Amino acid sequence: MPNLDFLTEVGLTHYLILSAVIFCIGMAGVLLRRNAIVILMSIELMLNGVNITFVAFSSYLGKMEGQIMVFFVLTIAAAEAAVGLALAVAIFKRFKEVNIRFFENLKG
Amino acid sequence: MTQTALMATLILAPFVGFLINGFRYRKHSANVAGGIATTMAAISFICSVLLILDLMALPTESRRIVVSFFDWIRVADLKVNMSFVVDPISSIMILVITGVGSLIHLFSIGYMHHDKGVAKYFAYLNLFLFNMLLLVLGDNLLVMFVGWEGVGLCSYLLIGFWFTDQEKAAAGMKAFITNRIGDAAFILGMFILFLTFGTLNFHEINSLVPSSPEFSWLAPITLGTLFLFIGATGKSAQIPLYVWLPDAMAGPTPVSALIHAATMVTAGVYMIVRLNPLFLMAPNTLAVVAIIGAATAVLAATIGMTQWDIKKILAYSTVSQLGYMFLACGVGAFGAAMFHLMTHAFFKALMFLGSGSVIHAMHEEQDVRKMGGLKKYLPITHLTFFFGWLAIIGVPPFAGFFSKDEILWMSFQSPHGHVGLWTMGALGAALTAFYMTRLMCLTFWGKSRVPKTVHPHESPLLMTIPLMVLALLSIVGGWIGIPHVIGEVLGHIPNIWEHWLEPVIVVPTMPHAEASLEWGLMGASVLLAVISAAVAYHFYVQAPEKPKALADKIKPIYELILNKYFVDEAYFGLIINPLVRASRNIWYYVDVNFIDKTTYVISDLVRGGGGLVRGLQNGNIQQYAMYISLGVVLTLSILLMR
Amino acid sequence: MSTDAILFWILAFMTVSSALTVVLITNPIYCALSLALTMVGVSALFVTLNAYFLAGVQMIVYAGAVLVLFVMVLMLFDLKHELQAFTRGKMTGALKLASIGLLAGLIAGAILMSNGILLTKSEAFTSPDMASDTTKQLGHLIFSQYLFGFEALGVLLMVVAVGAVALSRSKGGTHAKS
Repeated sequence: MPNLDFLTEVGLTHYLILSAVIFCIGMAGVLLRRNAIVILMSIELMLNGVNITFVAFSSYLGKMEGQIMVFFVLTIAAAEAAVGLALAVAIFKRFKEVNIRFFENLKG
Repeated sequence: MTQTALMATLILAPFVGFLINGFRYRKHSANVAGGIATTMAAISFICSVLLILDLMALPTESRRIVVSFFDWIRVADLKVNMSFVVDPISSIMILVITGVGSLIHLFSIGYMHHDKGVAKYFAYLNLFLFNMLLLVLGDNLLVMFVGWEGVGLCSYLLIGFWFTDQEKAAAGMKAFITNRIGDAAFILGMFILFLTFGTLNFHEINSLVPSSPEFSWLAPITLGTLFLFIGATGKSAQIPLYVWLPDAMAGPTPVSALIHAATMVTAGVYMIVRLNPLFLMAPNTLAVVAIIGAATAVLAATIGMTQWDIKKILAYSTVSQLGYMFLACGVGAFGAAMFHLMTHAFFKALMFLGSGSVIHAMHEEQDVRKMGGLKKYLPITHLTFFFGWLAIIGVPPFAGFFSKDEILWMSFQSPHGHVGLWTMGALGAALTAFYMTRLMCLTFWGKSRVPKTVHPHESPLLMTIPLMVLALLSIVGGWIGIPHVIGEVLGHIPNIWEHWLEPVIVVPTMPHAEASLEWGLMGASVLLAVISAAVAYHFYVQAPEKPKALADKIKPIYELILNKYFVDEAYFGLIINPLVRASRNIWYYVDVNFIDKTTYVISDLVRGGGGLVRGLQNGNIQQYAMYISLGVVLTLSILLMR
Repeated sequence: MSTDAILFWILAFMTVSSALTVVLITNPIYCALSLALTMVGVSALFVTLNAYFLAGVQMIVYAGAVLVLFVMVLMLFDLKHELQAFTRGKMTGALKLASIGLLAGLIAGAILMSNGILLTKSEAFTSPDMASDTTKQLGHLIFSQYLFGFEALGVLLMVVAVGAVALSRSKGGTHAKS
């Protein structure tokens, strides 16, 4: 009989690893996708991963500060999405495309 | 009013005038600008008179009013207060500066009436007064140095006042740069004194000076005083730095009267008198001062004999008279130096203003060869100039006689004096009489050589009133310092001057001398002056062809003197041109070929290095993000490995 | 196996699979929809962690507002399947994947290596009558201790609102043909 404690006993570790996995998936999206809007979505994913960490710690340590942090992150994420999308709209108006390769004018 | 308020008003009134006129520098009204500036100068004059009345109320030993406004510098051992002192020496200076200054301001209103930059002119003139007051009132070397530099700046600004004329702008620069050499030496002297005494305060330095020459003090004091004296040769136009003063005549004539005759150029003399106990302990420096002074007096007088420009003649005369003052300092006769400083301020300011009046009348003509016989066109100017002439050639009882005689007597009799110095002084006096008489003859007397197109006219009252006041001062100014031998004969007239300066000036112990000797020397110098004046009168009025014949006879010497002994050319050839050439070579070989090339190599290296990593910045945002994540991975793994 | 554990595994599976869908699928509309699913999952996870207020906010702000914004924009652009959904370049692609994998491994390793991980939730949050109290506490803290940050957020939101309008009205920014 293998030790199934890992499956049956859910603790902080599980939440942390879950959040790490979501964060990395989001990062993969940022690094690999070429659609600017999808990249924005991936950033939201990364933020959510981090949020899970905050809430988990808050819950397991009994401190309210983690939740306040999440509250702030949520607000800023919404703001960031708004600005990012506005930029995407501006780019789209110019190029009729939202592919990331149109941002390559920043080269040295 | 308290003394603090009086002192503040005295110093700041001209500064306020400078600010007012400075802000309205585009205005053209000479009456308004000049009115403001003259009022400010007059306020200063009233304040100084009130302060001196306060000073006189004090007992003789403690005649010293010190007003300290604030701590200026406080670094380690260096403590400098922004404080000002009125004592018998500076009291004379402020009287001369504000009194003569006010008269010259008044004169300027008439003289500069048609100038476009008249507000600017008066702003500079007020700024000059302010700085000059800082210079003479400062109770330590550093405050004095601020004023010293300030008057140098104003001198530069006013010499080059008509800066659109290339030559005049160049004259201003020449004055400034020549002064700079002296100023550098002044600073060095200040350093040495600070190292030696640990203070820059005049009173403290003078009280720290040992009472008799001691060997251990000799080196620093001699060196320090020598450097200060070099500073004085710059500001007071002595050999070897006198070359700027004749060129400084490019400025407006009232400026020449105020700055380059009456006040600024006497700053060097004033500084030496201020530190007289210190200079007395450096006999070697005193000897240098005396010799340079006597040499300058004679040299400048000889040049003055050959010049044709009315202002240049007066300029060389000023250099020569300043030489007398330094001669007096050098023989330890500091009181006589101050005395001559004051009387010279009166009669030389008078003569410069008189020449200004002449130039004004002649429509900006300065060449005496085109004048002559102006006596009947300019009666007031002529009369006042006449008194100035009597004063400078030393005819008793005019002001110049008493001060010059005092200097000559002291240079003969003082323990620091020498018969050779007296001879040079007497020779200088004779030459002075010659060239001043020549100036009188060529300008006012004799036949008129005025071109037909010019119609000379007497100047307005605004300009002649200062002339009259100064003429009066040139007559009576010397009566406060009548020598004992004359005083006794006339019925025990006291020497007010000596009594006034007694608490601050060390009077050398004079070996006993017969009164007849003093009478004899006095007579000799007066006789010499009268004879050479008579010769000059004969040469230039009765027999105008003789000077030319004489000049032809001794042509090489005449040419030498006419060209001012080629001093300017020598400076150019020996100092300026080699310096320019060396600088050019250093610029080319060191700067361009070495320093610049080195920096180019470095910049090329940096550019090449940048080119190597340039590819990393390819504009692909996702690649940048990848670098971030790689960095995070690296950091995390390092953290976990530990 | 407790209900808590069962709930966690279900939610974890749902969240991770929908997150992967966001990244891997080429149609942006589907991406947005699966992102919504992820948000819902995360919100449910917040509930299991007794953060009820945040769970609600997560639903409203993300699933409600942000996602609607995404979908709106996508509708506006009318984007279909993309031809080049992923970046090209084998070297950099491999490097990127490697860095992501390494990062995940490192974080997980770090979590597992550390001892004394808490297994039980803090009592302050678990007692039934405390459930509504967390929201109350959160409100108190935000409006007392963290008031400045809250106000600053308000300013930020206003700036963003103005900025977003200005940006989307501009005609291509520095690339404008004028």
